[in-house]
Amino acid sequence: MNTTAILYAAAVLGGLGILFGLILTFADKNFAVPVDERVARVREAVAGANCGACGYAGCDAYAQAVVSGEASITACTPGGKKTAEALAEIMGQAVGDIAPTVARLLCQGETGVVNMRYEYQGPQSCHLANQLAGGPTACAWGCIGYGDCVKVCMFDAMKIENGIVVIDEEKCTSCGMCVKECPRTLIKLLPREAKVTVRCLNQASAKDARAACSKACIACRRCEKACNYDAIHVIDNCAIIDPEKCTLCGECVKVCPTKCITHQD
Amino acid sequence: MMEFTLVNFLLFMVNCVLSNNFIFSRYLGCCPFLGVSSKVETAAGMGIAVTFVMGLASLITYTVYHFLLVPFNLQYLNTISFILVIAALVQFVEMLIKKSIPALYSALGIYLPLITTNCAVLGVTLLNITENYNMLWSVLNGIFGALGFLLAIVLMAGARERLESSNIPESFKGFPISLVIAGLMSVAFLGFTGLVK
Amino acid sequence: MRNEKTTMRGVFINGVLNENPVFRLVLGVCPTLASTTNAINGLGMGAAATFVLLGSNIVISMLRNFIPDKVRIPAFIVVISTFVTIVQMLIQAFVPSLYEALGLFIPLIVVNCIILARAEAFASKNSVLHSAADGLGMGAGFTLALIIIGVVREILGNGSVFGIDVLGASFQPMLLAIMAPGGFIIFGLILGIVNSIVNKIGKRSAGKGAEA
Repeated sequence: MNTTAILYAAAVLGGLGILFGLILTFADKNFAVPVDERVARVREAVAGANCGACGYAGCDAYAQAVVSGEASITACTPGGKKTAEALAEIMGQAVGDIAPTVARLLCQGETGVVNMRYEYQGPQSCHLANQLAGGPTACAWGCIGYGDCVKVCMFDAMKIENGIVVIDEEKCTSCGMCVKECPRTLIKLLPREAKVTVRCLNQASAKDARAACSKACIACRRCEKACNYDAIHVIDNCAIIDPEKCTLCGECVKVCPTKCITHQD
Repeated sequence: MMEFTLVNFLLFMVNCVLSNNFIFSRYLGCCPFLGVSSKVETAAGMGIAVTFVMGLASLITYTVYHFLLVPFNLQYLNTISFILVIAALVQFVEMLIKKSIPALYSALGIYLPLITTNCAVLGVTLLNITENYNMLWSVLNGIFGALGFLLAIVLMAGARERLESSNIPESFKGFPISLVIAGLMSVAFLGFTGLVK
Repeated sequence: MRNEKTTMRGVFINGVLNENPVFRLVLGVCPTLASTTNAINGLGMGAAATFVLLGSNIVISMLRNFIPDKVRIPAFIVVISTFVTIVQMLIQAFVPSLYEALGLFIPLIVVNCIILARAEAFASKNSVLHSAADGLGMGAGFTLALIIIGVVREILGNGSVFGIDVLGASFQPMLLAIMAPGGFIIFGLILGIVNSIVNKIGKRSAGKGAEA
C-alpha cells in the first residue's frame, strides 16, 4: 500500500474541495443581491401562467416591477379581481374598478358559410396562409381557421371547430395573447357584460360582402334604424356597437338579415 | 505542440467549428441541443453562455491538471477534479453575473445551471489532455468548439421553428423528428471533413 | 392496479419499460449515439453505466439523511465521479479493446443525465434496497436500448451482429449507419416507432377500460 499516494490524493482533492467551498461562500456573501420579501408575496398572488398579459417577461419580472412601483397592480388580467385585491393589500394601495373582459371572435365564417378563393395546401398556419395572395377566404377579414391563436392560449379556452375558432368564455382569462397572435386581428377583448356583439369586420361593399360570406355585415343599416338608444352605427360598411349606450335589448339582432349580430347567452 | 501562426490558427478554427463539430461529428452536447433548441433566441443565449463557460473551464482545468495533478502523479483523478472545477465555476459565474451585470443575468442566467451537465464542457477539458495541447490551444479549443456548438444549436432552432406549422405524424412529434433533422444536418457537415488534414 | 411503484420488482420493471431512460425519458443521448456503432460497444457502455448507477444510487441513498440540502448536487457529483473513475480503471485494465472503442465517453458517464436525475429524483428520497432496484432497472433499460440500437446500426453498417457475420459477403454495408449522421437518423426513427407502439398500447387499454 503506497500510503504517500493515498495521502497525496486525499490532500489534493480535499484541498480543492475546501478551496472551492471557500470561494463559493465568499461569493455568496459578497455577491448577494438584496431581495425585497414583498416580491415573493406578490409572486404568489399573481396567476402564475407566465403569459405576458401584464406586458412583462413573465411573472417574476412583473412581481419585481410591482414592488419597485413601476407596474400597476391591476395589470394581471388572468388573476382578475382576486389578484388585484391581494396586490393592493401587499403594497398598501387601493384597487380601482376593473370591468372584467373576455376574448370574442368577430367572425362567423365557418366552412360552408364563407366562400374560399383557392384550396390552400401549405403549412397549417394562419400567418403563412394569410401571406399567400391575401389568404384563402373570400372575405379578406375572415377567420382562416388554422389555429395560430389556439396554440398560444395557455388556459385551454380555444379550439378549432368546422374551420373557425370557438372560445370557451368560462375558461378565458382575457390575457390577450390570442389578440396579438391573430394576423387579421379578428379577436377583441370586450366587456363580459356586453353580450350583444357584431360578429363581423367586413368593410367591403354590400354586393362583395354578400358574395364572400352568407353571414357578413352588408351595411343595410336596419340595425341602426331599429335601435332606440343610438348605440349601433354603420361605419365604413360595417356595424359597430357602442358598449356604453347598448342596453342589450336585442332589437338589432332581430332585424339583421344576415344574422351577423349575436346575443351571447 | 503546434506553434502559433496565423495559418495554424485559421486551420484550427475551421477544424473545431466545421470539420469536427462538437455536435454533428463528436456527439458532445446533445442533451441541451435537443432540449433548448426550440426558439432561435433561447438557442443563441444557451450557445453564448456555453462559449463563456467552456473557455474559462479549459483555462482553469489546464492549470489544475498541469500544476496540481501531474506533479503529484495523480492524473487518474482528472475526471473528479475537472467536474468539481466545472460545477464550482458555473456556480461562481452565476453569482458574479447576477450581482455585477444584471441585464446579462436576465438574458443568460437560466442556462448556466444546465451547463454543468453538458457533455461538451467536460468533454473539451478531457480532450485538451488527450490531445496534449498547451494552455493557448486548450483555451482556443474550448472557445471554438463552443462556437461550433452555437452554430449547430442556432441552425437546429431555425429548423424547429419551421416545424411548428408542419403536419408531422403523431408518434414522430418532438424528439424523433428533431433527431432525424439533426442527422440530415450532420450529413451536410460531413462535407467539411477533409478540409483540414 | 397493484402498487407497482412500491415493490422492488415494480421499481425494476418501471426502469426497463415505463420510464426507459433512452426511449421514454430521452436522457443520456450523447453516450447512446456514441457507443452504438456496434452491439458489443453498446453492451459494454450499458454495463459500465449500470455499475455506476447501482453504486451511486446505493451510496447516495445511504447518505441521504446526512447531506445538507445546499450542497446536494456537488455531493452527488463527487460520489458519481468516484464510481466513474473506478469503472474507468477497471475497463482499462480488463477490457482494453472496449476502452479504445468508447474512449472519451467512459469518463463522460459522470455527466450522463440519467445518473444525476435518478440520484436527485429517487435515491435521495427512498430506501437503499429500492434505490438499488431502481439503479438496476434504469441500467437494464439503458443497456437494452443501447443493444437494440447497436444491433440495428451494426447490421446496416457492417452486416454483422455482436461481431458475427450474418448477412454474407455479398452485402454492401451502408457506412453511413456507423457514422455520426446515421446515429442521429436511426435513433430518431427507432424512437418514432417506439412512440407509435406505446400510443397503440395506450389506445387499446383505454378502449378496454371504457368497455369495462
